[in-house]
Parts: sequence; C-alpha cells; structure tokens
Amino acid sequence: MSKKLSGLVASAGLLLALAPKTLLAHHAFAAEFDANKPIKLEGVVTKMEWINPHAWIHIEVKRPTGTVEKWMIEGGTPNTLLRRGFTKNSLVPGTKIVVDGYQAKDGSLKGNGRDLTFPDGRKLFMGSSGTGAPKDGKDPTESRR
Amino acid sequence: MAAILLAVVGPAAGQVYKAPRTANGKPDLNGIWQALGTAHWDIEGHAARPGPVVALGAVGAVPAGLGVVEGGQIPYQPWAAEKKKENSKNWLTADPEIKCYLPGVPRATYLPFPFQIVQTPKHVLMTYEFASASRIIYIDRPDFESPIDTWMGHSRGRWEGETLVVDVTGFNGQTWFDRAGNFHSDALHVVERYTAISRDALRYEVTIEDPKVFTRPWKMSMPLYRRLDKNVQLLEFKCVEFVEELIYGHLRKKTSKGKEDPK
Amino acid sequence: MRHRIAVAAFVLVIVPIASIGQALAPGADKTPVAKKTTAASKTWNPPRTPWGEPDLQGIWDFATITPMERPKELAGKEVLTSEEAADFERRTLEQRNPDRRDGGSQADVGRAYNQFWWDYGTKVIGTKRTSLVVDPPDGRIPPLTPEGQKRAEARTVARQRPAFGPEDRNLWERCIMGGNTGPPMTPGPYNNFVQLFQTRGSVVIFNEMINDARVVPLDGRPHLPPNIRQWRGDSRGRWEGNTLVVDTTNFTDEPNFRGASAKLHVVERFTRVAADVLLYEFTVTDALTWTKPWSAAIPMSKTEGPIFEYACHEGNYGMVNILTGARAQDKAAEETAKKESK
Repeated sequence: MSKKLSGLVASAGLLLALAPKTLLAHHAFAAEFDANKPIKLEGVVTKMEWINPHAWIHIEVKRPTGTVEKWMIEGGTPNTLLRRGFTKNSLVPGTKIVVDGYQAKDGSLKGNGRDLTFPDGRKLFMGSSGTGAPKDGKDPTESRR
Repeated sequence: MAAILLAVVGPAAGQVYKAPRTANGKPDLNGIWQALGTAHWDIEGHAARPGPVVALGAVGAVPAGLGVVEGGQIPYQPWAAEKKKENSKNWLTADPEIKCYLPGVPRATYLPFPFQIVQTPKHVLMTYEFASASRIIYIDRPDFESPIDTWMGHSRGRWEGETLVVDVTGFNGQTWFDRAGNFHSDALHVVERYTAISRDALRYEVTIEDPKVFTRPWKMSMPLYRRLDKNVQLLEFKCVEFVEELIYGHLRKKTSKGKEDPK
Repeated sequence: MRHRIAVAAFVLVIVPIASIGQALAPGADKTPVAKKTTAASKTWNPPRTPWGEPDLQGIWDFATITPMERPKELAGKEVLTSEEAADFERRTLEQRNPDRRDGGSQADVGRAYNQFWWDYGTKVIGTKRTSLVVDPPDGRIPPLTPEGQKRAEARTVARQRPAFGPEDRNLWERCIMGGNTGPPMTPGPYNNFVQLFQTRGSVVIFNEMINDARVVPLDGRPHLPPNIRQWRGDSRGRWEGNTLVVDTTNFTDEPNFRGASAKLHVVERFTRVAADVLLYEFTVTDALTWTKPWSAAIPMSKTEGPIFEYACHEGNYGMVNILTGARAQDKAAEETAKKESK
C-alpha cells in the first residue's frame, strides 16, 4: 500500500495539484526576473530592509575591474525569520554573502536571492538565530516572547 | 435627569468620570471613535490657507485650526525646522498619507476617519478605517520587545486608574504627524493616554520624544468622540487601488487604459 | 513544535469529524455542516468568555500540507493511514523543497528563494483526510460555470502577458488583500496566522496578511446595502450552539478568492474542538463562478505568535519591477519586430 502510494505521490501531476493557488503569486518573480540572466555575486552587505512583502538585502559587489556595483537582492517575507528568532540586527552590515539568482528584466542591478549563502556554503538564516543566547530558537519549547 | 446631564457634559469640576467596567474591571473603551478638528492638516495652530491643487478649489484648501500642540509650537532642532519647511513645500510628493502608506502613531488617531477600539484583558486592538491600519497593544508586557521596526510601531499598554497608557516604540521613521510636513525620526518614542471623560468622549494626550529631531519632549492633546450613528461600523478604505495610477502610472503600457483593457 | 503536536491530539478527540463530508442535508444550504460539527463539539466543553460565549481567542495557525483538493491520483481515497500520511508528508516536502535547483531556469526563477523564507506547514491535518474540501464528497472543487471559465481565461491572458498595468496582477501582488486571507481563509505559503478577539457584541478576525481586521458584529444588524461593496465583503455573526457562524456578502466584482464574482456568499464556522484546535469550516456559494456550492474544513492550531506587521504596499518594489520588466520586454519585442521588417 505504502509503495503504491509512493508511486502515486511521485508523479509530477501531484506536485501541481499540491501547489496552493497562492504559490502562483510567486510567479510574480518570473515577471520581475529574467530566467536568461543568471547571476552569481559575492558581495558585502550594506543594509537589509526587513520589509514586506519581500525583504531586500543591499550588497556591494567589487568587480575584477575594480568597479563597485550596488545590488539589491529580493528575498521572502521577513516575518518567517522573525518567528524563528531573527531580528533586524541579525544580518550585520559588512557580512560577506554569496547570491545565486537571476537579474531583473529591466537590466537594473536587482536580482532575486534564489540561493543565499555565506562564502563557506552555509545557507543564510538557517535554523534559528543561532546566537547561543536565550530565545535564539534552539529550544522549541521556549517562549518566543 | 442629573445622570443624563452627567453623561452628556461630563462630571462636575473635582469629580473624575468613571466609565462602565469591562468584565475584568477595567474602564470600557470599546467602540468606534473619531477626532474632530484639523490636526490632520496641521497639528500646530494655523490660519486657513490655499491648497496646492488649484482644480480642487475650496475643497482642497486647508481649514484653520487652534492647534493641538501644548505650548503652540513644536520644539524642532534647527536642522529639523528647515527639514519641516522642505516637507511642507514638497507636500504633494513627500507626504506618505497621499501614497496611502500606513500613518503611524499618533497620526492614525486623528485622521479624518473613524477607528475602533477592541478591548480584551491581554490585548487592545486598535483598527483604523484609513488603509486598514491596525495595531495590537500588549497589556502588562513591559519586557516584550519588538524584533523589528514598523510603520505602526510596537505598543505596550497598562492601566493607570481610569487611563489606558500606551508606550509606543520601534517606529521605522517614515511616517509624518500631519499634512503640514511635521515629522520625526526612527528614534520616536510616543506615550499615549486614553481617558474616558464622559460616556461618549475620551481625552487623548500624547507625549512625543525624539532626541534626533526635537530639543525636548512635547505634548499634544485633543478629545475623541464616539461615533453615534445607527449601526455604525468601520467601512473599507484600503486606498491602495486609489493610488496605483499615481505611483505606477508612468510605468503603464502606453496604449493601456487600465481597467478598460480586455482582460 | 508545540502546535504540531496539538494537531495530532485533535485526531484523538474528534473521530466523527472525518465523516463531515457526508453531512450535507439537501436544501440546508445555509448551514450545510451544522449537524456533524455540533455533534463533535458537544464532546468537548470550551472555556467561556465572562459573558458566556465559547472563547475562541488566541493566535491560530492554519498552515498545512494537506491540499485544498484531493489529488486525482488519490481519487476515492478519503483518508490516509498514519504510514501513508508520513510518506505523503515526506514526499511533498521533497518535491516542494525550494532549495532544489532542477527543472530548468524558468522553474528555478519561479521557486523564488530559499526554504528558510517559507512556512507552508510540514504536516497533514490531524484527520489525515486527503483534501481540505469536504463537499463535494470527491474532495474536488466543482466545475466552473461557462461565465466563470470565461473570466478565468481572461485572467490567465492578463497574467501571462507583460503587465499592462497593476490591474493585470492579483490582489496580493497589488498589496490590497493577502493571498491566504480570503475570506474565506485558505492555507498559503507563509504567514498563515489569524488572531481572534472577542468583546461583548463582536468578534474580530485579524489576519496577519495584510493587517486585515474583520470586525464581525453579533447584534443581528442587517448587512450593508447592496450598493456598498468591499474587498473583504461585509460580515455578520451569530452563535449556533458552540459554533460561531459568520455570514459574508457584499463583495466587489473581484473578491480575494479563486476568481469568484460579486455574487460570492461565504459562510464560515468557527468551533473550538480542543484546547489547541479551532476547527474552521467554510461554504462558498457563487452561481456565477461554480456550478454548485462547495465546502472545506481546516483545523487551526493554537500558537504563541505574535502576529507581526505586514505592511505590503509601502514596500512593494516588486510591482515597480514587474512593470519596468514588462516595459523592457515590450521594448525588446518592438526592436525585434523593427529588425525583422528591414
């Protein structure tokens, strides 16, 4: 029974059926960003806008030519991060991050943060805030407030 | 007869009006309230003046007001006084209210729209008709910090006798106080006091503190009046749909007329 | 996580809910699931407000990976076993994992961003029912009417072209109403939180997205007159036993719900069936859109919160980017056409 169900669940049709209507809202990214313009940037965070509907991380990218480009990288809702203990101070200006994504259709220095990592490969904002301090989210039974 | 008179005009001098109590013994401030006057135009005293949109004629002009700032003038630092003048000159493009942005506190209270107080023992929800702005006041949670800065700030409340005292911090600094360009920074700290003075009126007092902008704390105060209309309810003024042309119109496809386009 | 455990507890308490789908009495379209729900809630006595109503207050999380509609591959299968549910959860999370990069660049862009931004739930609902839809009994939303189909096609055309203006995009992208807020509420990809407040004479349904406070009077006053239409409609409430029934009408011609029309009529039912579970049921009727009314049931789990501000319009760089991107596409298409005509 379980094996038969596995086979059923694995079909691509199921994936579409499972996608809530609201996931289609993120096809807005397909309208903003160009699948034919992939980007991979390593930059230094200058500030992060903890705003809705999408957070924006501002980075400075130094090109091999020496020019410094100022990019804006789009993320998701910060509310999800806040619920796991992150705060507006969690991404410190000066931090190096790597952005793997796609550039804006209008060619401006904007991209979606398809994959955001530190230079060592760890993903940004994984798990809890991880500061080791109380209320860093590591203990799921601990009050968040 | 005396009781009716009391309800309308408030207590005699020396007496403190005591509102009916909620189930947990606090003054009952539930209801729909609205400010009158012209604080939303300009919180300082001002004569009437023309508006910037000629086609609106008298409807777009600014009515006079006695002002709600105690002492009359806002104590700006010199650079901030200049900034206020600049804001005022650029009102049409600079005022966040015109773009339907969340109004912040205390501006939300005295916009020309009603708001509703929904009072429970642990939370007081204030929901404003303008832009569906809302905030939750957390009662007796002085240690509850906000992880983030917001448009409506972070509100912590407590009861002092007849008064609901609300401490608001965590502003993002992007709201104004009125349409005259009076502004603040993200260091804004607001303390509000809501006190029933009769069955159908509250006294609203606000202390403003912002060391980046003002030379000292200052206060404003005004009455808030209960909306007594039959079946009164907050209606919808989402307002985003009214400003899309203003904000995005220059990005519209040239031949497109908006809603009339074939969908 | 505490609230996930609470969903499992719901299973132990409310066995009869699994048969809600068969509860429809023909003709009783105003309160189609009343009978079974009342029977279930009688087994648990909720705490009460000081004025004697069931206390529904708190912050409730309605995230779940149970789909709205029963997948075609599971036709006829109403409920999963525990093993099947665990398997379903694991495979769904695998397939849905936004950190996967396969499928080509279009799919990649569409997945938008890392897993750590999302919060669409990790568990099926406690009853292990295979769909949130409980009526029709096959767990599938009824077919669209011809008029509904026409509007759906027009929406698809508008959505797929480089946007002419903001009206080509949905209400959430325009920051007018949240994607999971409805009414009625349906689980979405994140921020599936609602906080309920009760005072004498009203209940307030406060959705995190987009800071929408729906004040529901309980005093029996009539709905707004028919010429006053609202994005969130106009809600009126009453108690039926331990269930809060909320009736909503007066929607605009573009309600925030699956392509419905201004004729949309929503009846929601809130029943606290356990300390940590608020059962949320809804029936939608819209003769211009669906060939018959349909209903769904979503158990919501109590959670600590708080609700965070979701200021949307203020930070909507995305709309600017969608439109500048569209104009760039238009320009590129024009230039290509010019070259080809030479």
